[in-house]
Amino acid sequence: MLMAYASVAAFFLVAIGFLLGSLLFGRLLRPNNMYAGKVETYECGEAPVGPAWFNFNPRFYIIALVYIIFDVEIAFIYPVAAVFKRWVDQGSGLFALIEIFLFVAILMLGFVYVWAKGDLDWIRAIKGDPRGAQDVSSRSRAPAGQAAVADGGAES
Amino acid sequence: METRTFDNVASLAYFAPELGLIAAVLLLVVWDLASPARLKIAGLVVISLAALAWSGGMGAYFLAKDAGPHELFHGLLAFDRFSNLFRVIFAFVTGAIVLFSVPPRGPGVAPELRRDQGEFFTLILVLSLGMNLMAASRHLLLIYLSLELVSVMSFVLAGFKINDARSSEGALKYVIFGGVASGIMLYGMSWIFGITASMHLGECAARIAALTAQQGKVPEVVFVGTACMLAGFGYKISAAPFHMWTPDVYEGAPTPVTAFLSVGPKAAGFAVLVRFFSDALGAGSASPAVATPWPVLAGCLAMATMTIGNLSALGQENVKRMLAYSSIAHAGYMLLGFSVFSDAGVAAIAFYIVTYCFMNLGAFMVVMAVAEQSGGDETLSAFRGLGRRAPLVAAAMVVFLVSLTGLPPTAGFVGKFYLFSALLTAGGAWRWVLAIVGVVNSVISLFYYARVLRAMYLEKGERTEPVAVRPLLGATTCALAVPTLLLGVYWGPVYDFVASSLSMLR
Repeated sequence: MLMAYASVAAFFLVAIGFLLGSLLFGRLLRPNNMYAGKVETYECGEAPVGPAWFNFNPRFYIIALVYIIFDVEIAFIYPVAAVFKRWVDQGSGLFALIEIFLFVAILMLGFVYVWAKGDLDWIRAIKGDPRGAQDVSSRSRAPAGQAAVADGGAES
Repeated sequence: METRTFDNVASLAYFAPELGLIAAVLLLVVWDLASPARLKIAGLVVISLAALAWSGGMGAYFLAKDAGPHELFHGLLAFDRFSNLFRVIFAFVTGAIVLFSVPPRGPGVAPELRRDQGEFFTLILVLSLGMNLMAASRHLLLIYLSLELVSVMSFVLAGFKINDARSSEGALKYVIFGGVASGIMLYGMSWIFGITASMHLGECAARIAALTAQQGKVPEVVFVGTACMLAGFGYKISAAPFHMWTPDVYEGAPTPVTAFLSVGPKAAGFAVLVRFFSDALGAGSASPAVATPWPVLAGCLAMATMTIGNLSALGQENVKRMLAYSSIAHAGYMLLGFSVFSDAGVAAIAFYIVTYCFMNLGAFMVVMAVAEQSGGDETLSAFRGLGRRAPLVAAAMVVFLVSLTGLPPTAGFVGKFYLFSALLTAGGAWRWVLAIVGVVNSVISLFYYARVLRAMYLEKGERTEPVAVRPLLGATTCALAVPTLLLGVYWGPVYDFVASSLSMLR
């Protein structure tokens, strides 16, 4: 009974052994040359400047959310595509096809929504902000006379 | 009629209310994008109300036809009288909230909801869909999913006021508490799944019953799992000790959202709580063969919830925050009925939920009407002299507050009467202790409700000119006050209807 778990134990042993082994070999082989620059935060080769605690632009998150639309779409369509031929043979092909189109249509509606609301414009004018007029984006959508909303980031 | 399990396609006919809601949600998004600005709000309201009428109407139709019980989607959802009753209740509550959220017209009044109206109504409808699913789910996975659907929508709605620090703070606290509560609940589900090897409540019930009979007591694993799951349920109904988010969220959120959160998700939380206990744990059956820990557990929760809610409400100056604490206390009263684990107890809870819908929605509506006319002031001082400035609204508020206290001749009294009678019929020393704590709590609650009454009628405010309440708000308020009074004197048919609609799939 207990031997059934022997493979699990072996797996653990190999994992731990591999880790310890690589650390040990590295220790034996590498030159020992420490200096201050080596313990700094790794920023892809750049020298780190300033503190890491600052405000991120919320637009990053919106783009990430929009990406999920396509992500989910692929994740669900792919398995259907894989078995679709079998469904056609079973005679439920049309049903599945309609279902998938409905699914895509719903997701596309979400895509159309973010597009129409201007969430795909990377640079957006801040509503009511006088600087909005001279914003770099030519597609800024700042309707005149909109109630002053000081912070455009919070509203999206 | 025999219980049948339907596959995905055959289930759709019984899933029609929810399909209608989903279609309306999609339609709302299209309308929001494509409608002319002038007709926008009207269209949004009409679409939402039509979908809710469909959902509630179908629920009532199923009830009248005595359809079911069936299992839908291979046993994920239950289709029984219980879920149909809650479909009707949720459709009614959401419909009232939709009317409630129609923004005031014309300049001068700062609208509370400044973000896109389309998004607001869409979120409200999705929330309603989530509540329907909560009341019907019969699978641990679906319980979790529908609970999260309701939670996530509530987070967004709670933070709907732009540039309002309190709203954002409330929403953030809500998210954090919600995340923790969901985590604990999932952990509890993993215990239940671990011992029963099934996520389907019916199969869980069979396995747990077998283990209980074999060991002569409820297995510890089940107890730990259930206790952890209570975190998630308790968070939804804002029972102590998971009530901490309630005051801040209720105070910060826009008033329609507060009213919605205090009634809708709370009722849904009770629905799923009752279903889980009676379905998976068999706690609702007449007399369990072995002593179960559930009555004591639920009783302790009920007492703590009532007492904390009522004592914290005593010193509140902000009426919205006071009502938030009062809604915690009401969750405690309903838990009293829950702790009996009998059909009478469940009937009492369901009837209390119905009465609570009327009185709590009404009270929040009055708060909103008053705050709108006093520049967003929701404190007691805005209510001073209201009896002269707006006699009709003040009179309605009296009805709601008296009903919330639980005094005759209002619906709240009848609701509480059934709760306590279910408790005392079950008998036993522990039940008497619970009942006494409940009565003492009702007396305490009279104090803070009476403070509002005193401010309205006995104190003079700085302003004496009549308040111009929006006709829509005034009419809806009166429409809610009528059943609150009516159910206090003639409740028989409604109670019988509710009590006969509680048969659950087991």
